[in-house]
Amino acid sequence: MVGIGRSDIRAIGHWISGMGAGARLLVAAGLTLLVALALWAMMSRQADARLVKVDPDDAPVQADIMREGVERGRGLFKSLCAGCHGPQGQGRYTLGAANLTDKDWLYGQGHVSDIETVVLYGVRAPNARTWKLADMPAYAKPTPYAREPSIKPQQPGDIKDVMQFLRSLRGLPADAEAATRGAAIYSDKGGCYDCHARDARGDDAIGAPNLTDSVWLYGDGAEKSIYDSIASGRAGVMPAWFDRLSPAQIRAVSLYVYSLSHGSAQPLPSLP
Amino acid sequence: MNAAKDVSGAPWRDSARVSMRRSLIAFAVGAVIGLILAGIALFTAKGTSTLVVPSEDVAMVNQQPVSRSDYYQQLKTQYSTDFDHATPAQRKAVLDQMIREELFVQRGKELDVASVDPDVRTAMVNAVEQGIAADVIASRPPDEKLMAYYKAHQDKYSAEGSMTVRDLVFPPANATAASQALQAGAKPDVVAARFGGRDSGRVNGEEFYFAAKIHLGDAMFAVARGLAAGRASTPLPSADGSHILFMVSNRPPEPRSFEEARASVLNDYEKEAIARLQDGDQNFFRKRANVLIAPDLR
Repeated sequence: MVGIGRSDIRAIGHWISGMGAGARLLVAAGLTLLVALALWAMMSRQADARLVKVDPDDAPVQADIMREGVERGRGLFKSLCAGCHGPQGQGRYTLGAANLTDKDWLYGQGHVSDIETVVLYGVRAPNARTWKLADMPAYAKPTPYAREPSIKPQQPGDIKDVMQFLRSLRGLPADAEAATRGAAIYSDKGGCYDCHARDARGDDAIGAPNLTDSVWLYGDGAEKSIYDSIASGRAGVMPAWFDRLSPAQIRAVSLYVYSLSHGSAQPLPSLP
Repeated sequence: MNAAKDVSGAPWRDSARVSMRRSLIAFAVGAVIGLILAGIALFTAKGTSTLVVPSEDVAMVNQQPVSRSDYYQQLKTQYSTDFDHATPAQRKAVLDQMIREELFVQRGKELDVASVDPDVRTAMVNAVEQGIAADVIASRPPDEKLMAYYKAHQDKYSAEGSMTVRDLVFPPANATAASQALQAGAKPDVVAARFGGRDSGRVNGEEFYFAAKIHLGDAMFAVARGLAAGRASTPLPSADGSHILFMVSNRPPEPRSFEEARASVLNDYEKEAIARLQDGDQNFFRKRANVLIAPDLR
């Protein structure tokens, strides 16, 4: 082994000392940069650690964590999520991209951990842990839902009757006879109750929307778009980010999304 | 370079003069920072050994991380509680289970379970396919590409047509007269009663095109599809008599605008892109693999 003696160090010292003023300035700048980089890396790791170590559902009550997460999440949201969910998270009803500014949650109950699960594994995304328990069948197709062959196609009149039933649930004027027939279809041969629940209030465990309110994932609530949803089916996809973002980035985006519905009093209207 | 210059006596705070002491300190600081950076890189890069559990994980099992978010999720699923409210026993139980799972997975790899277990093989194939698909889904195509796809496949994007049609069966001898009466505007039930006809019962009220096609058969559906509301077909001979179709209402498939079809267009576009990419990957895997095929199967 070759050892480094005092004379070697002295020689290096002499070499450095012999540098011109410009070279010394360069070395000083380099060292400063290195120190700054090291500090930045250390602080960044500490910030990451602060974000990911906190229990996600406790994060909203920790103002500093929330502030940091929202600040970091905003940029990520704009670059990765705004394309579908809109620049302010107001959603796009032609794509079925959810409005994130209201408190109406399709998957889970809007806790940070629920949001994080969706960000991590997506919806109907190609991974084993994604949320894909059910699709909306296409009742105007010969095979409405390949995964559930017991679901049979419905006739156009049946779909219109179910729509009258849904109108009645929302307190809108409806043809009473058609609504009664629609209720029977909903609870029996249509199989709608299986996902949307007997009371039609949906099921956040499978992402089935509440049909008694006026929040729409697809379309603006017009009869045509409701008919389209029942006739042609829906199965929107949200990408999974678990293998594209770091855990701290996932947490930051989740906190930002959480903040969208907890910051302002009024949700924004969805984009077309 | 002037190595022979004796500068050791220069005061180190005086930046106008060369100081050997300052230079040595600067050198040492630089070396330490370099070592720190190298250390960080060495012990935090993927695949390297570490003695520290990264903040995003709760444990490292043979350098394999047990994710903190998975841990919190498991705690919630198993005990319906969050980390702060979980008891130490609950925290430990979940951690032990996750470590056990990781150990067994690692043992499974050592035993090469994938080579004998069809479920593991299927899961691995699925995982690779899904990984390819995930790339497509995460990079959403721009609207121009979707629009071009929509224009190229516009026939796919229309609402299913529907029709309400009466299928009346007459004795062959009366069929032409019955058809003429219907064409003249007589009501189907009146014509059926007058010419000894009956409803075949094949179709029932308003039906989607696909259902009418199944119920009427391809040939009769083709005729029905071309009938406008209020029009009747010419007699269509069949084993059970002459069929005459009377169209009550006919709504052909209505093309959906790009905005209306956007979600479906995106799904179809991505499906095609995924299939293309998976084929490409398969070709690549085959190209780099050494596949030997038995002589009788060549």
